[in-house]
Order: sequence, then C-alpha cells, then structure tokens
Amino acid sequence: MKVFVFDAAKCNGCYGCQLACKDEHAGNDWSPIAAPQPDTGHFWCKMVEKTHGQTPKVRIEYTPHFCNHCDNAPCIEAAPEAVYRREDGLIIIDPEAAKGNRALVDSCPYGAIYWNDELELPQKCTGCAHLVDEGMLPHCVDVCTTGALRFGEEEEFAREIAEAEVMGDPKLGPRVYYLNRPKLFISGEVWDPVPNDIIENATVTLTSSTGAVMSTQTDFLGDFWFRRLEPGRYTLDIKAEGYKPVTQTVELEDSLNVGDYPLEKL
Amino acid sequence: MKVSDNSYIKGLTMGGFGMGALTSVVDVKDGKIVRTRPLPFDTAYSPDYYKPWTIKARGSEFKAATKTDIPPFAYIYKKRAYSRNRIPYPMKRIDWDPNGERHPETRGISKYERISWDEATDIIASEIKRVHEEYGPMSILAQGDGHGETKVIHASHSCQMGLLALMGGFTLQARNPDSWEGWYWGAKHVWGGDSHGQGIIGNLLMDIPQNSDMLLHWGCDVETTTWGWLGQINSRWCFWLTELGIKQIFISPDLNYSGAVHCDRWIPVRPNTDSALQLAIAYVWITENSYDKEYVDSHCVGFDWEEYYITGREDGVPKTPEWAEEICGVPARTIRALARYWAKHNVSIGHCNGGSLIRSTYSTEPGRLEVLLMAMQGLGKPGRNVMKFIEWGLYGDPNMCPNPRSEMYMTPAAAYQGFNWNKPEIYDIRWRHIPKTRVPDAILGHYTKENPLTWMGVGIAGWPRVDQFNEYQYPNFMTGEQIHMIWSDCPCWTTCWNGGNKFIEALRDNSIEFVLVQHPWMENDCLLADIILPISTKFETKDIAVDCQNGNYNMMYIEPQCIEPRGEAKSDWEAVCEVAKKLGLYEEYTKGNSVDDWIKVGFDGSGIGERISFEEFKEKGYFIVPTQDGWKDGPRGFEAFCKDPDAAPLETPTGKIEIYSQAIAEAFPDDDERPPYPKYKAYGRLKESLFHPRAQEYPFLLVSNHPRWRVHANMDDISWFREIETCKVIGPDGYAYEPIWVNPVDAERLGLQHGDVAKLYNERGAVLGGVYVTERIMPGILYQDHGARLDPIVNGEFDRGGANNLIAPNEVASINTSAEVTSGFLVNIEKVDVFQLAEQYPEAFSRTYSADEGVDIGNWIVEEA
Repeated sequence: MKVFVFDAAKCNGCYGCQLACKDEHAGNDWSPIAAPQPDTGHFWCKMVEKTHGQTPKVRIEYTPHFCNHCDNAPCIEAAPEAVYRREDGLIIIDPEAAKGNRALVDSCPYGAIYWNDELELPQKCTGCAHLVDEGMLPHCVDVCTTGALRFGEEEEFAREIAEAEVMGDPKLGPRVYYLNRPKLFISGEVWDPVPNDIIENATVTLTSSTGAVMSTQTDFLGDFWFRRLEPGRYTLDIKAEGYKPVTQTVELEDSLNVGDYPLEKL
Repeated sequence: MKVSDNSYIKGLTMGGFGMGALTSVVDVKDGKIVRTRPLPFDTAYSPDYYKPWTIKARGSEFKAATKTDIPPFAYIYKKRAYSRNRIPYPMKRIDWDPNGERHPETRGISKYERISWDEATDIIASEIKRVHEEYGPMSILAQGDGHGETKVIHASHSCQMGLLALMGGFTLQARNPDSWEGWYWGAKHVWGGDSHGQGIIGNLLMDIPQNSDMLLHWGCDVETTTWGWLGQINSRWCFWLTELGIKQIFISPDLNYSGAVHCDRWIPVRPNTDSALQLAIAYVWITENSYDKEYVDSHCVGFDWEEYYITGREDGVPKTPEWAEEICGVPARTIRALARYWAKHNVSIGHCNGGSLIRSTYSTEPGRLEVLLMAMQGLGKPGRNVMKFIEWGLYGDPNMCPNPRSEMYMTPAAAYQGFNWNKPEIYDIRWRHIPKTRVPDAILGHYTKENPLTWMGVGIAGWPRVDQFNEYQYPNFMTGEQIHMIWSDCPCWTTCWNGGNKFIEALRDNSIEFVLVQHPWMENDCLLADIILPISTKFETKDIAVDCQNGNYNMMYIEPQCIEPRGEAKSDWEAVCEVAKKLGLYEEYTKGNSVDDWIKVGFDGSGIGERISFEEFKEKGYFIVPTQDGWKDGPRGFEAFCKDPDAAPLETPTGKIEIYSQAIAEAFPDDDERPPYPKYKAYGRLKESLFHPRAQEYPFLLVSNHPRWRVHANMDDISWFREIETCKVIGPDGYAYEPIWVNPVDAERLGLQHGDVAKLYNERGAVLGGVYVTERIMPGILYQDHGARLDPIVNGEFDRGGANNLIAPNEVASINTSAEVTSGFLVNIEKVDVFQLAEQYPEAFSRTYSADEGVDIGNWIVEEA
C-alpha cells in the first residue's frame, strides 16, 4: 500500500511539490484518473508556511498537505459510487461519476477536496496514479531534490512510520506521514552588562507544568534554545556562576524569543 | 495510460549567453508541454561510466544526485511559453513615424499596432542605414547582455552585435558586474582573481564539511540565488552541514530563504554597514591579539596601514564593537562573541552573489574587508575559505569547481551566435562602449568628444583588474558619435539596474530617434520601444546546449524543438537573420549555416567528438562526462597559496594579499571612496545612509535582493508563483502587489497592516507594494525584491508593479568604478488608498488586469479594425 512520507528536517521550502502538482495537473487531462486542474485556486498539494519566533530568533516551518488517502476515507463513505480506493491504496475521485457532486468537497475533514467550477467536479490529489501506473513517481516527489518528500510502499518506510505523526484523525487511517515536525521553541540570550559581554555556558532550565525538566547551556553567542516544545506553561531558570539567578514563567502559545537577560553580578 | 508522446532534454537556466544548467526533461503530448522533470543521469549511460562521486566527512557521506536537482523555475517554465503576455507579432508604436514625427516623449505611454515581419525589417534596415549615414555606426547602442534564457545558436543576447559588427560597428552597453560589484571592484585588488574577484573555490564542497566549524552566510541566499543558474545541490549540502554539526550563521538585514531553514542564528545587520561590523571584528582580534600574525606577515602586504586605521590612530576613532553597534545595529557583545569564536575555530564564509553586502554604496569596502578578515585568520588553511554557491566550473578552471570535478569542461561556443566582446582582435570594444550603469547619464548629458563623459575600466566580467586603471570616454575621442538608436534584446534596464526612472527619461530624450526591442514578452523596457519583434522561447527552437554548472556531472546535449513557435515568433538569431536579409548580409551573417549545421559546428568545436560520435550523441540525446579521478587531491580554496605564497602567488602585483594596494594609491591618490586600504564610509557623494540628513525625510533603508520567485525581471507573470504568499500581496482592489517586508515594530508605529498597499518613495519617484508584516526583516529596514514587472502609473515617476530599481540611485557605488547601487538606499513608506489613486490616475488603474498574470498585453495594443 502506497504512502507519502514527509521529513520536515529536510524541507527547504521551495514549494516544488505544490508547483509540480500544478505542472502535472493544471490544464492536463489524465482521465480517467483526473480531469484537468484549474490553473489557479486548487492546491491538491498545499504548502503551508509558518513563521516561528521574533527577530532575530526566527525560523520558518514548511508543511505540505495532501489528500491523506485515508484507510477509512470519509469521501468514499459520502459517495461510494464516485470515489474508490485502488489496490495500491490511492484514493481516486472518478471524474465521470463525481460530476456535479459538490457535497463531496465537504466530506473531507481536511479540506483536501476542491471544487472545479468549470468542470463541475470535486477534485483532489490522485497520488499521480497515472504516473505510478507507468512506474514513475508522483511528480511532487520526483522534483523534491532534498529528499524531504518520499513515496512508496508502506513496508519500505516501516521504521520511519513508527516514529511519524499524521495530520488528522488517526481513526481514519491517514497515509501521509510527517517526521521531525519542529513544534515550538523558546530562545533567549544571556549577557553581562558590565563589561557588555555575552555569558557562555550559563545553565538554563525549562520546567513544564507537568514537571518535565529540560536543561541546556548558553552557546558562544550567549543564546539558549529549547526546541520541539508543546504549547503550555513553563518555568525558565537561568543560572551562571557569579551572577544572580533569574526565574521567569513563560506562557508558550507560539514560538518565542523571550529576549535578552542582562544578569546582575553577585 | 500514455503520459507523454515525446520527451526532450532542455537546459532551462536563465544564465544568458551559452552557459547552461538546469537540465530538464520536457514531456510533450498532443503538441503541448505536459510536464517538466529532472533528468536521471543514468537515462542513457551506466553509472559505471560516469563514476558517481561521494564526499566523506566526519563519518558521513554526501553523494552526487542520481538525477538533475532542478529548482521550481525549471518545471514552471512552460508557463512562460504559454504566457498571455507573449508578443504575438511585430509591432510599431502608433505615434512613431520614421518618416515624420517620432514623438520620443510618448515612449512608455503610447500603444502599438501590428505590422508584418516584412514591414518591420524594412523599417529596421532603413533606419540602420540612415543612422549610419547621418551619424555613423557607433551611434547605435547595442544592449545585449543578460537575464535571458540560455541559448546557443538562438542566443538570447547580442546576436544583433554580430550583424552590426559586419556594418562598421556599434557602441556596446558594457554590463557591469551587477551581482558581485564589491568583489569585482574591491576584493580583486586584494586577492586577485581576474574573472569575478570572488576568490578560489576549488574543492570547498569537501573542505568545509571536513574542516569548518562554522559557515557564515554573509548577505547570501543559497535557497534563492542558485535557482536561476545552478540548481539545488547546495540546498542538500547545507542540510548536510547541519547534520554534521557545522554552525550556519546568517548575517543580513533580512532572514532570507536559506536562513529560514538552515540558520543556527540570524545576525541582522543594517544594509550598507557590513564594513563597520567587519572592522569591529578585526578590532577585537587586534586588541585581543587573536589573529594569525605569522600568516599576515608572510602572506599580506600593508596590514599596518589597516591596523593603524582600525585602532583609531589614524582618525582618532577606534573601530570598537560599540562604535560598530551604533552603525550596523549588531549589539557590541554579539560582535565580540562572534569575533572570539571565529578566532578559535575554523570559519568559512559563503556567498552566492547579490545581497546588500555587495551591491550597495561603497561596496568595494565590504568586499575588501572580507578578505582582510579571512587573511587575519589564515585564508586557505583547512576550513578557512570563501565558498561561492553559483557559477561553478567557469572557464573549466579547477579553482572554480567547489564540487568534484568532471573530466571535461566543454562548451558549444563554436556555435554560439551571440557576440564575443572579449576578443579585441575581432572587435575592440574598449573605445566603443558605455558602462551599463552610465547609459542614462551618457544620453542625457549630451556629451561631445571635447567634453566627454569619462570612467575607469570597461568593467565587464572577465576583464582584468589592471583595466580598472584605464580611463575611457564617451563619445569616442576620434569620431564623437553620439547615441541616436538603441537595439535591445535585454529589455529590463528599468527594473534591474540603477535608477530606472532616469533610464526612462533618457529614452524619451529627443536625441534617441529609434528604439528597437526584441523580446518574447510585453514587459519592462518593451514599453519604451518604437518597434518590438516577437521572440520565441527555447521550447520553440532546436539548439545545442551544455550544463557544466549543476555540480553533479557535466553534460552536453542537443535540445530538440518541443512545440511550434507561438504566433509569429522567431528566435533572437532568426530575428536578426531577417534584418540581415534586408541588408543583403544574410549569407555573411549566417556563414551559410543552418541550425543543424551550427549544431554540428558546436559539437565539433566542443572536443567531445573524441569520446562520442555525432551519431551516438544524437541517438543518446546527451553526453555525460565522468568524474575526474583524483578530484580529491586538487587544492582546496586558497590552500596552495596558504602553504607557499611564493610558489602559488595570487594575481595581484605583489602576488600577496594586498591589504594596502599600491596600484590604487598611485592611480587614485585622492579617492576617499576606495582608498588604498578599506575603510567604512557612511555617506558623501552618495547619500544613502541613516546618518545622512536625507534620512529625516526618507528614514528607511530598502533592501532589495535577487527575487525569490523570479530571475531578476523574468517570470513575474507566473500564475502558480503569484498564489504563493511570499510572491505577491493581493490588495483590496484585487491587484497583486509586490510584497514590502515590514517588521511588526515598524508596522505598529506606522499604522500599517498586513495586506495594506503602501508607497515606497524618495525624490527619485515612487513604487507601490503590498505590506507584508514579518519578523524576517529587522526593525528600521524595509525589504522588497527587485525585478517586479513595470506597470507605470506616471511614466518615469510612479510605478504600480513595484519595480523599485526605478527609484534606486543612478550614481555609481564608488567614483572610480561603474558599480551599481540597487540595494540599501533611502526611502519612506506611506499607506495609500488604492481606490483614491484609481480616481486620480484612471488610465493606469483601468488597465485590464488579472491577479494571476498581471497587466494584460492588450492594454498596449491597438486592435485591428
């Protein structure tokens, strides 16, 4: 059974997958797998970008979204006469049988089905089944130069799937897997106002409201970073030898540059 | 299912000239391009033959790709062939009458009517003859120098020069090193390097992962600038550095697209102030005794001058981190910390052209100071080099190959129909050129041979350092011919060079009698033409091509024709052939060769015939070159010079790193912009600094990099890009405006909201943009990509498209150079009401338009009755 595996740690944000989808489908007729996609407005592969943090502690997270090709696909349930699962697991909306079925758009909990006004068709990612049948990769995967996006048999990816997340309801059995999602970060800087120098190797401890403790040292720029955090309430403790410690509570809703901490000498 | 009828290989780079890259497979079905995809290297050859390479470092491996790692520009490029903005047929400006009134003043305003190729070429031929008779051949300015498709026989650029050269010559628009100014005019004098001045980069793809602790991406965007020229190999490589634990620090006013995904730390620095930061780093090393004195003694000349200046003994101002903080905005403690880390570790610097660092005011200084810093820490020692992420394999020089070398660096130059202006024996341009940056000044100054415009150095890439000491002039000192006609095949001066509004003014000058443009799309300088010839894209022609830049393996191939020409389009070369016919020069111009003949000529001249027959070459579709055995043993960066500066001297007068340049001191004793050794200069002749009184009126410095979703001015009309949030901001009027990045702190202070439309302006004019509130730009600085497509509201004054080069300074970056200033200049920003503007400027705002592709070509064409 086919799966997509996306590794956030390797994505350079080139939007290649989103654009390749348009190259493959916009204006091209691959019936009976897919009728032409409109030139704009459809995102069978949709890249979402999110800015984390504040100047100068900023990173961008890129996440592509596809049809999840769910094991228990709500779209099949909504229109069994028009949507089918192939033997390889890819889910296809039959462009003939689905004509006029606008309700199908709303059957997808992830918004992965788009309405084509001109053709009066609900449409979505086919996993480029027409290419897969010819022994080729989905176009979005073929162009992914960093290897962030891969496609293949479930067994080939078993080890990674065990560590992956899915986007959406696990009960529906999504078949697009996500690795190394960055979640949120907290970062700050520790320094000594006299003589105006950063403090390296200060010990910074972050305690979550559940009592989980993480600890790190400030780096060569006096920075500390805590990555891959869940939202929540945290306590931040900064200790450096010869300085008064600092304690602060952080409400983490989004990645945060907590700013710089000029420490007072003892 | 049949997913294609035929597949063709095409190199889809925008390198212009004949130097290809982005090798792609174009799938065609039913006469239409259906997709573009990477070429697997093993399509027609076994890996045993081309010998896949692996770089090993710290127990990890980085391998050559198995297929070309083409960027998005390649697989959307078919949209350019099918663009609604394609020029459908030859056109003439309606109120330009070669036999009557020419109305130069309405260039940029008046519309066009359809004419036939026959009529167009008649007019062109007779105009050339007339100009020759009335003024002389050098009264024709030939603009043919860059930013177009890479084609060989159908060369995007300078085909017209070959024809004009047969008729007694022309004046060349000499393209300045627009993306690497500071290295070319600055660093070259310090460490030599006569093509670009960007250093020796051999085997750095191996040296840095093996030996560096940190890579400083200084004003550099690997994830953007490489896309038009090389591909995405560096993207993978930067991820590998992260895996290896090598720190990647980004120093630039903006968190660029590489910083967004690769950075361990972004250090925001104000534009035009990198030199202050560099001096402060050197100050820390000098005062803390933490630089490589032995290396400086044995490898450099003139360090004592610089030391005297840095420590403040020369001007009473020690260049301390606190001094620099005020100027560049980087906290003094961060500068000290970076300097101290650097002094104890192996640090390399990375570049890929562009960026404020190197194309702003006085750009020679950061270019030179970078070499100073590297020298102070032992340039060329393991892990201490300067990496360049694009333009690999130049001239086949191993020193220009950071990647594992191929056995051959071939070129189809024998078939290239563009003009080789670097061969004085064929055509000596030295007395027949105007630097591109000085074209508006040359035209508007109405210079004479008695009172000429003068400058130093031809200034074209590849020209030797010593030429920067030669003075040239316009008009020619013997004949005094002034420019009266312009023939352009690179119509993006307005939106890619320095002070486009001045260029518009120049093209509306009475002295300019005829402007001829050949181009595929109705955009930018086309709007200023009197006659426009429709040019095909490379999908529509058959050609021969090379790709020695992708970094994996070198390749050469025939590029078959994929689709029929659109409308009445002809290739650049074919268009010039049509003019040649009317002048009776067709045979002489083509040398009697057809396209197929030229392909054979290119093949024969390339030298690959020693390895593959022409028949096999045609049958396989491409030729791939094996990796050079022993590539690992080649020198790494400046290693050879580092080990023995006498045995491997640099291309400087002393063979050493010339921190003090005696040559500059002698040639320009009074130059305080590029003095003999590098300094920080805020303003003077140029007034683009937050410390200048102008900043009270224009309090922001505008950063303008190479664009993310264009190659310069190319591809602004790609609907699939324009849907991406960093590509365009849709205004309340439905127009897709070019984003202006504003830090949230500034946005709040100025009352700007994400999605507002705002005006960037200074005394040179104004452009609109869509406010994009983001943490990716430092406070006090604004950012807008360059190259947005021109959409004049008031021609020469006010632009809707956001082509901010229009309001860049026209003055050169340093007085004895012809460098441009196209990033880091003063502007103000102000929210506008687009509906009010629409009432004020009904004509401009009523142009038919789609957010998908921009202004419709129909606005510029008078429909036939």
